[in-house]
Amino acid sequence: MSSEPQAVPTLKFVQVLKGHRGRAWNVSWHPQGNLLTSCGEDKIIRLWGTEGGAEGKWVEKTTLTDGHERTIREVSWSPCGKYLASSSFDATTAIWDKKSGEYECNATLEGHENEVKSVAWARSGQVLATCSRDKTVWVWEVAEEDEYECAAVLNAHTQDVKKVVWHPNDEILASASYDNTIKMFREDPSDQEWTCVATLASHTSTVWSIAFNKTGTRLASCSDDGTLKIWQVYLPGNQEGISTPDGQPVWKCVSTISGVHTRSVYDVAWCHQTGLIATACGDDIVRIFQETLDSDPNQPTFNLVASSVASHGHTQDVNSVAWHPTVPGLLASASDDGDIRLWQFLDSS
Amino acid sequence: MTAGFSGVLQLTDLDDFITPSQECIKPVVVEKIKSVTGSKIKIQDDGSYVAVTEGGQAQKLQRVDISLNDCLACSGCITSAESVLITQQSQEEMLKVFKANEQLKEAGKESELKLIVVSVAVQPVLSLAVRYELEPQDAFRRLSGYFKSVGADIVLDMTLSEDLSLLECENEFMERFRSKSDGSKPHLPMLTSSCPGWVCYAEKTHGSFVLPYISTTKSPQQIQGTLVKQFLPTIQGHHPGKIYHVSVEPCYDKKLEASRSDFHNEAEDIKDVDCVITSVELEQMFKSQDLRLSEIPPADVDFPWLDGLNCSEQISYKGTLVGHQGTGSGGYADHVMASAAQELFGDSNAELKFKVLRNPDMREATLEKDGKVVLRFAIANGFRNIQNLMQKLKRGKCAYDFVEIMACPSGCLNGGAQVRPEEGTQQKELTSTLEKLYSELPLHSPKLNPLVHEIYTNWLGGAGSDKSSANLHTSYHAVEKMSTALNIKW
Repeated sequence: MSSEPQAVPTLKFVQVLKGHRGRAWNVSWHPQGNLLTSCGEDKIIRLWGTEGGAEGKWVEKTTLTDGHERTIREVSWSPCGKYLASSSFDATTAIWDKKSGEYECNATLEGHENEVKSVAWARSGQVLATCSRDKTVWVWEVAEEDEYECAAVLNAHTQDVKKVVWHPNDEILASASYDNTIKMFREDPSDQEWTCVATLASHTSTVWSIAFNKTGTRLASCSDDGTLKIWQVYLPGNQEGISTPDGQPVWKCVSTISGVHTRSVYDVAWCHQTGLIATACGDDIVRIFQETLDSDPNQPTFNLVASSVASHGHTQDVNSVAWHPTVPGLLASASDDGDIRLWQFLDSS
Repeated sequence: MTAGFSGVLQLTDLDDFITPSQECIKPVVVEKIKSVTGSKIKIQDDGSYVAVTEGGQAQKLQRVDISLNDCLACSGCITSAESVLITQQSQEEMLKVFKANEQLKEAGKESELKLIVVSVAVQPVLSLAVRYELEPQDAFRRLSGYFKSVGADIVLDMTLSEDLSLLECENEFMERFRSKSDGSKPHLPMLTSSCPGWVCYAEKTHGSFVLPYISTTKSPQQIQGTLVKQFLPTIQGHHPGKIYHVSVEPCYDKKLEASRSDFHNEAEDIKDVDCVITSVELEQMFKSQDLRLSEIPPADVDFPWLDGLNCSEQISYKGTLVGHQGTGSGGYADHVMASAAQELFGDSNAELKFKVLRNPDMREATLEKDGKVVLRFAIANGFRNIQNLMQKLKRGKCAYDFVEIMACPSGCLNGGAQVRPEEGTQQKELTSTLEKLYSELPLHSPKLNPLVHEIYTNWLGGAGSDKSSANLHTSYHAVEKMSTALNIKW
């Protein structure tokens, strides 16, 4: 993508990808960035790639069908890029791979009582997590070839769990829920039991999504209360003197961005290359936030620096945003209008 | 309220935020009285709902009353909210019956009196023994003292029922295993049935697929119910309808089990177990009366079974607590495996060691003959292990012959309604204390209990008779999954 000098930062519309019938729920990038995956109400996973290198136009490469009986809510690539997990309202999570030459569903994770809302792979690729309307978060271990075993069923949340994400470096799992909280879990090394180690409470309504920054020292959360919040971890013995009971790291809300989003904020993505934060909002707008240069680390300031423009924007709720893993500033979004849109953030020079 | 249920039931549709569940299919019959549009519903200070007609007349509205059994028959929810009253299964209800009986006694109305029988499982006794720092046998006698002081006529241990349950389970397994050799495909692994949390989950989630694998043997609680309502009257002369039977158990799921229609004689309105009280509820009762179990005078635990039988001399455990070989959940896997090793493979000294697999709640033991595994048994506790087992079973990758399944991690000693650990004590520490206490109880073998043989011979018409299967076995019912538009949420 060319980056001409800009007077002000802008979110330039790149391309629209049409294909989904009904809502498009989620977009995610292959870890190498050569594939974009989307899913939605039409129960189809669409894989998009470029024609003629990264600069080329994105086109539909293949579709994965017959994996689910109901809406597919989220798709997630394993860190090695060989496996794709899809979570569905049919209560199952499917694991797809290309060992036979074509993508096929070779394992199904069953156990949730009802709609699976989110699926995420840990960095090791040996563990994954799912969450559901049944209020539980499940941790699955890759037991052997195409065999997945349930390692934990966590019922710390009191309501529907909307999103699970893994810490970028450590095996720490974070979940966001309709009970207005975010919880973190990790395996107790003494007995291999997964336990809740932190509850992040500050949002006043459903927490729809969460995203870690590159180092995992901060977490961004977005909510039905219309705010975006930034949380920071304080480890035992921190310089700021924040107390850490039981020697557990403590997460504190250090910034709340309110008054910007006019509706529920459905998704948040933290770019691990640029540090930019993107949000998907029920007011049809994709927004980009940037930390100010003189920001106090313990009370950081994030400014809205760019938004999607109506003339090229989604016409209904934006459900999902995802930053490209290697191309700085390239962003994908999915919407209730069924479209996937690609955007390029251009900084002021 | 929900805390007393096993994790499995808390997971499956225990909905607290909608009461009753939006998915509740119980037809709520509202008796309408000439509905006039424009009437308003007001909530009174006492929380009752009143419809106010245009004329200003107030009419109290009936509240929706849902029994546990309604919930069991539905896949919608088991709601635990206070507004849905578990009417027949509370300590208040039990004390009410005790009190009413007391009043009848005072009024001299002997003919209306109920015979109040309390059956006590071993796990709650151990739990309360730890809570009040008592030796288990002492705690049992003091518990008996408490129940008698509030009006119980008979307090019983449950060893006889546990023995019958183990032996029936063993027979059932032998039958299934042996039928392999004649070419039929029996439902193996056989899965135990004494945990109502697991059974309820299986019925709701895995339905007709898994139910044939579950042993049809009743749990000790329900066998005890049959003994108290069917066999005891033959000794005591009471009509079953005149017996009020309380069962003391380590978990709320047992309340659900007692409420099943399978254990309810509708024609005569007789339930095998009328009320289930748990360890935590007893602790609360003591607390509310400012009592400590250690200060309650002890009383004998009764042993009424012997009238007319000829084995009194040979019974060593009368009125005391005993333990079975194996887990504190009843020792099903240990008992059935030892019996199978002996009967099917002539190995009476087999070293049966259940070794820990992925976690301490998933254990396995095998019996080898000529270098080949001939028996493979497992113990699976807690939801995740049940879950993995179900998935393996569905994929045809489950190599076990028998699995002892309990919904709670660590099994019944860690039941959902056992007394919580005191501050500063970890749940796990408490569980290992209870496991230690259980293993120190006098070891009891069902096969060496002469009373069991007397019961089979004199009352049931022999093992395997129709009467045996009618009284010691039950059946399960798949619950249809619902998929209505109301269920769909994002």
